[in-house]
Amino acid sequence: MKRYAREISVLGVLLLLLCFLAWRAPDFFQAQPLRSLLTREAPALVVACGMALVIMTRQIDISVGSQFSVCSVVAGLLAAEGFSISVVTMLAVALGSVLGALNGFLVAALGLPSIVVTLGTLVALRQGLNLVRQGEFVNLPDQFQWLGQSQGWGQNALLAVAVLVVVTLSWTLRHVAVGRYVYAVGSDGEAARLSGIRPKRVTFGVFVLLGALTGLAAVMNVVQSPQVQPLSGLGLELKVIAAAVVGGVAISGGRGNLWGVFFGLLLLACVSPAMIHLRIEAYWEKAIQGGIILLAVAAEGLRGRNQA
Amino acid sequence: MTLRITRFTLLILCFALQPFSIGLAAGEKLMVALLPKSKGNAYFLSCKAGAEKAARELGINLLFDGPVDSNAAKQNEIVENWITLGVDAIAVAAENKEGISTALRKARKQGIQVITYDADALADARSFFVNQATPQGIAHALMDEAARLCQGTGEFAIISASLTAANQREWQKHIELRLAEKYPSMKLVAVRPCDDLKDKAQSEATALMSAHPNLKLLMAICSPGVPGAAEAVKQAGKVGRIKVIGLGLPNENRRYVKEGVTESVILWNTEDLGYLTVQAAVALAEGKLKVGMKRFVAGKLGEFSIEGDNILLGKPFLFNKDNIDRFDF
Repeated sequence: MKRYAREISVLGVLLLLLCFLAWRAPDFFQAQPLRSLLTREAPALVVACGMALVIMTRQIDISVGSQFSVCSVVAGLLAAEGFSISVVTMLAVALGSVLGALNGFLVAALGLPSIVVTLGTLVALRQGLNLVRQGEFVNLPDQFQWLGQSQGWGQNALLAVAVLVVVTLSWTLRHVAVGRYVYAVGSDGEAARLSGIRPKRVTFGVFVLLGALTGLAAVMNVVQSPQVQPLSGLGLELKVIAAAVVGGVAISGGRGNLWGVFFGLLLLACVSPAMIHLRIEAYWEKAIQGGIILLAVAAEGLRGRNQA
Repeated sequence: MTLRITRFTLLILCFALQPFSIGLAAGEKLMVALLPKSKGNAYFLSCKAGAEKAARELGINLLFDGPVDSNAAKQNEIVENWITLGVDAIAVAAENKEGISTALRKARKQGIQVITYDADALADARSFFVNQATPQGIAHALMDEAARLCQGTGEFAIISASLTAANQREWQKHIELRLAEKYPSMKLVAVRPCDDLKDKAQSEATALMSAHPNLKLLMAICSPGVPGAAEAVKQAGKVGRIKVIGLGLPNENRRYVKEGVTESVILWNTEDLGYLTVQAAVALAEGKLKVGMKRFVAGKLGEFSIEGDNILLGKPFLFNKDNIDRFDF
């Protein structure tokens, strides 16, 4: 029980917020808007899982927003060219992996600090996309939205994919050797190396995985509307890093759990609609989200001190 | 050596041809040059269509050239070329306010008439600015259309780009003034920022609809907000019950306008903007348009008012089901 204290406390805060909403704004609990909220957040959840792994290895990738935009636009253009949804998905995932591999190579092989490397790719990819697209929307073929099915079916499918990603990765982290390597490298790279793990490979691997998941997430977002805005994904890095940190992933590496990330993302995603339902001015929104992040970091700090 | 000779010959050629080109311009048709921010952009192609119409009616030569991408330095280059060519008037949509002004001042010194349209340069670099929309004009058009669709009563919400951007605040202020002054039975229940993201606008609109069951209309005052709000209304199955209007571009909203999700998209008529710009440039070159005038008659479009050195295009234009297919930008 104690080892999951962080995850449980995040879940507790989330439940507290939901109870408060049930009391003050019962309208919040309507099927369609809630389902829409969850589906809208499903792509971010997929990216957040990848981000959590990167943070667990004591790295960070702040370029995911730009990767997401590039993958979205490319997926949109491929779809407009008539490629089928499965081909588009595969190519978007492949493109994401390549972008992730670029970051991974610079960080793992050349030993450059990940925050600087990904700051570079963040800006380069975003500006490159601006130059090529000039902000112009990509219109998708009609049968593309909701994977060519009904809205309800499409939403369920997207939610299923997101849950599948969480479950699979979570299981892998816990029960497969490769998953344990992630924690080992994040806790102490040198000790991991001495015990036969290759930290550079693990680091490279998590960046590629994050890229691939970002490509997948881009498609999951693209199929939710009939057109792609090249700006889509702007600020995504903040959202997913915040979700990971709030969910109890230690920014110093080596610790974290994807269910915590899941609850963290849900908590942050509920802030905006909750404020609309509680009739609180939008000015407060970012302040409240920031407050939640600070609280999480403070909790992390206290925990670290107790352990020391 | 060869290089020097070619340069020299070029110089000679220039001198030799200059009187010819001036003679041509003075004796024959006026030559007006129109500079867009980027020449492939459908927005400016629509301006060009209007400009060509005016050029035909006035019997003048129209040059249309601009950077392929929005490139401020390339704009300067093109103006320099036009100065060398000796055109009679230049009309510019400035990519960079300060950047273009030096070249424009140089053109004025050479006796070329300069006006700006769409995006202004510094005031001393041009005679007039053809102003496509005042904040008041935009706000009134949005609020009046909202009231018309709600029959003057009911709740509505605004989706803006951000709560702090200057233009957004200005529009919001005028919308609220208009609301207080003319539509006492309408109520603005919330203003939500979408950070210029379509996806966020959609999420905000979804929550707004569920939090305000009596909501009748969503008004987006940033362009990505309009399709975002429309998609939310569509996914909530509330098409017709909750109306969507906003400030935006025809292409981004076409499908929703045709499906009846979005009632109207508000912008200015870009063809009219091109038409008025050429009319003003020609009138200026012919000495018919002077600083201090309060009115200007532009061919078939009739009279436009002038405020200071701004020629006002006037009321914004409503794109709706009936006319949206005429515009491709």
